[in-house]
Amino acid sequence: MKREIVHDIEQFLYREARLLDECKFQEWLNLLTDDIRYWMPVMGRRYRAFSKGITILDSDRYEEREFSNEGELAILDETKDSLARRISRLDTGMAWAEDPPSRTCHIISNVEVREGDSESEMIVYSNFILYRTRGELEQDIYVGSRQDILRYTGGDWKISYRKIILPQNVLSQKNISNFF
Amino acid sequence: MGISNLVDADHGLISRSIFVDPQIYEQEGRMVFARCWMYLCHESQIPRPGDFCTAYIGEDPVIVWRDTQGNIRAFLNICSHRGNRLCRADSGNAAALTCAYHGWTYGNDGKLKGVPYQQSAYRGEFDREQWPLPAVAQLESYKGLVFATFDPSAPPLREYLGEMTWYLDAFFDRRDGGVEVFPGVHKWVIPCNWKVAAENFCGDNYHGPWAHRSAMSTGFSARRPRPNDVGRFHLSPGNGHCVMGRQPDDTSDSPEVIAYEQDVRSEVRERLGPRIDLVRPAVGTVFPNFACVRGTANSIRVWHPRGPERTEIWSWIFVDKLAPPSVKETIRLAGLRSFGPAGTFEQDDIDNWQECTQTARGVVSRTQVLNMQMGLGQERFDQGLGAWTSEFCVSESNHRHFYRRWAKMMETTDWSELSIGAPR
Repeated sequence: MKREIVHDIEQFLYREARLLDECKFQEWLNLLTDDIRYWMPVMGRRYRAFSKGITILDSDRYEEREFSNEGELAILDETKDSLARRISRLDTGMAWAEDPPSRTCHIISNVEVREGDSESEMIVYSNFILYRTRGELEQDIYVGSRQDILRYTGGDWKISYRKIILPQNVLSQKNISNFF
Repeated sequence: MGISNLVDADHGLISRSIFVDPQIYEQEGRMVFARCWMYLCHESQIPRPGDFCTAYIGEDPVIVWRDTQGNIRAFLNICSHRGNRLCRADSGNAAALTCAYHGWTYGNDGKLKGVPYQQSAYRGEFDREQWPLPAVAQLESYKGLVFATFDPSAPPLREYLGEMTWYLDAFFDRRDGGVEVFPGVHKWVIPCNWKVAAENFCGDNYHGPWAHRSAMSTGFSARRPRPNDVGRFHLSPGNGHCVMGRQPDDTSDSPEVIAYEQDVRSEVRERLGPRIDLVRPAVGTVFPNFACVRGTANSIRVWHPRGPERTEIWSWIFVDKLAPPSVKETIRLAGLRSFGPAGTFEQDDIDNWQECTQTARGVVSRTQVLNMQMGLGQERFDQGLGAWTSEFCVSESNHRHFYRRWAKMMETTDWSELSIGAPR
C-alpha cells in the first residue's frame, strides 16, 4: 500500500467529517457514489454458544451473532436517494428535531486501508466519536466503527459502501438525526 | 393519591403533574402496569421449543420462554436466591439458564433444577420446588401477540381487549398465518413521560400535518393530504383502547404496497368482514402502552416506563407472513426510515414529547391544566364500528377515553368496577 494513498484517504475522511460538522450536507452528498449503501445494523445481546450460563436446547439453530443481518431490522439502511431526502427534509423549515440544529464534532481515527476487489476500490476501516450538543443541556456521544468501500472515480475518492457499527444494545440517545 | 382532581376527562382537562410527579409514577406501577395485560413479544420471535426473549412489564424484567413441550411461559427474569438478573441476553434458545452469581439453574418450565452444594450445605433440607422462577399470573396470546399480567384477578385477555380484538385483527390477521416480525428490535430511551407518547398514538391526528410535514413532503410517507380531509375516525372500542382509522381507500402506502393490497383485498375482506369497508385502522393502542401502526410504517411498539421523565421504546417492524419478498423489503425500509431512532417521523415526535414533559418540572407549570377538549360533545357511539367515534379529521376524543381509563385504573382495585366488556 502506497503511503500517499493512505494519506489521501485519511484526508478524504477528515474533509468528509468537517463537511458534516459544518452542516454542508449537499457537499457531503457529493462524496457518495450514486449506488452507495449506507447501513447501520441493530444490536442484540446473545450468549456465547460455549457459555456456562446457558444450556442450549436446539444447538443446530443457535447463532451467537450480535448484529442484524441484511434484510433484517436496521437503524439506518439508506440509499443515495433516501439520504438526499433526509437532507432535503432539513431544509423544509419544519424538521423539528434538527431546528435549532444539533452542533456536532466528528472525531475520526484508527484509519486502516486495505486493497479492495478492484484497483479503483479500497476497503477502509475507521473508528468514530460523534459528539453532539443540542437544546439547553443535551450532550450525546456516539462511539463506534465504520467499514467503508471507497471508489476512485472522476479524479477523487467517493464512498460506495458504509457499514456503521454502533455497539449499544439500548440506545441512550433520544434519536439518530445526524450522519456518521 | 387522589386522581379525580387531576384528570377531568369529561371536560377534557388534565393536570400536567401526572407526567412528572414521582408519587403518581409509583402508583401507576402498582395500579396500571402490574395489573393490566401487557404486551411481551410476538410468537414469531420464539417459534421453537427453548426459544426465549427478554421483555419488561413496567420496570419488572421478564423472560418469555417456550418450554420443551412448546408452551409459552413468562417469568420474572430474576433468580429466586439473591434477585440477580438471570438471563443476560435479549434472545436465544435454552433448555436451562444458570444464574451468574451462585449457579442456580432453571429449566425452561421455570423450575429450579440445580443448586450447587444443595445436599452438603443445606443438609438435604432444601426443597427446590419451593423456589422456581416467579411466573406471571396469567399469559395468553391473541393472533400471535403474547400478553401477560401479574394480576390473577384480571379478566381473561379477550374480555380485556373486548371490541379491540377486531381492530387488532385488522393489523395482525388480515391473511392466513397472520404476521411475522423482522428479526431485531429498536430499543432506545427517550426523555419523556410514557403517557405523552401513548396519547399521541391513541388519537393525535392533529399533529400529523404540522409536526410531520417535513417527513411527508420529502417522501417518507406516500400519503397525500386530501383537500377535504373529514373522513377519518377516532375510535374508542372500550377499556381505554384506542384506534385512529381512515377511509378504506385512504392510504399512505407506496405504489408497490398498494398493488399488493389490491391483490389481497378480497381475502382480507373475507377474514375481517364488512366492517373493513367502513374503516381502515391505521394506528392502534392496547391500554396502556402497546401501540401499532400500519401504513407509513408497520410498527409494533411498547412504551416502557423508566421513571416519570423517561421512556424506553421497543419497536419492531411487522409484515403479513404471506406477503411476497419484494413487498416485505419495501415495508422494512419504509418502516425504519420513518419510525425508529433514525425515523424521520419519530425524531420530530420525540423532540416535542421531551419538551412537553420537561417543562412540567416547575412547581408552577406542573399545576397547569392542559386542554384536551377538541371535539368535546361531538362523539357518538357507532354500532357498526363498535366504538365511540369522532368523525372529524382531528379530535381529542381518544385522549379523553385514554385518560378516563387511566384515572379509573389508578383508583379502582376491583376489576368488576372497571366496566370490562361493553364500551362506555
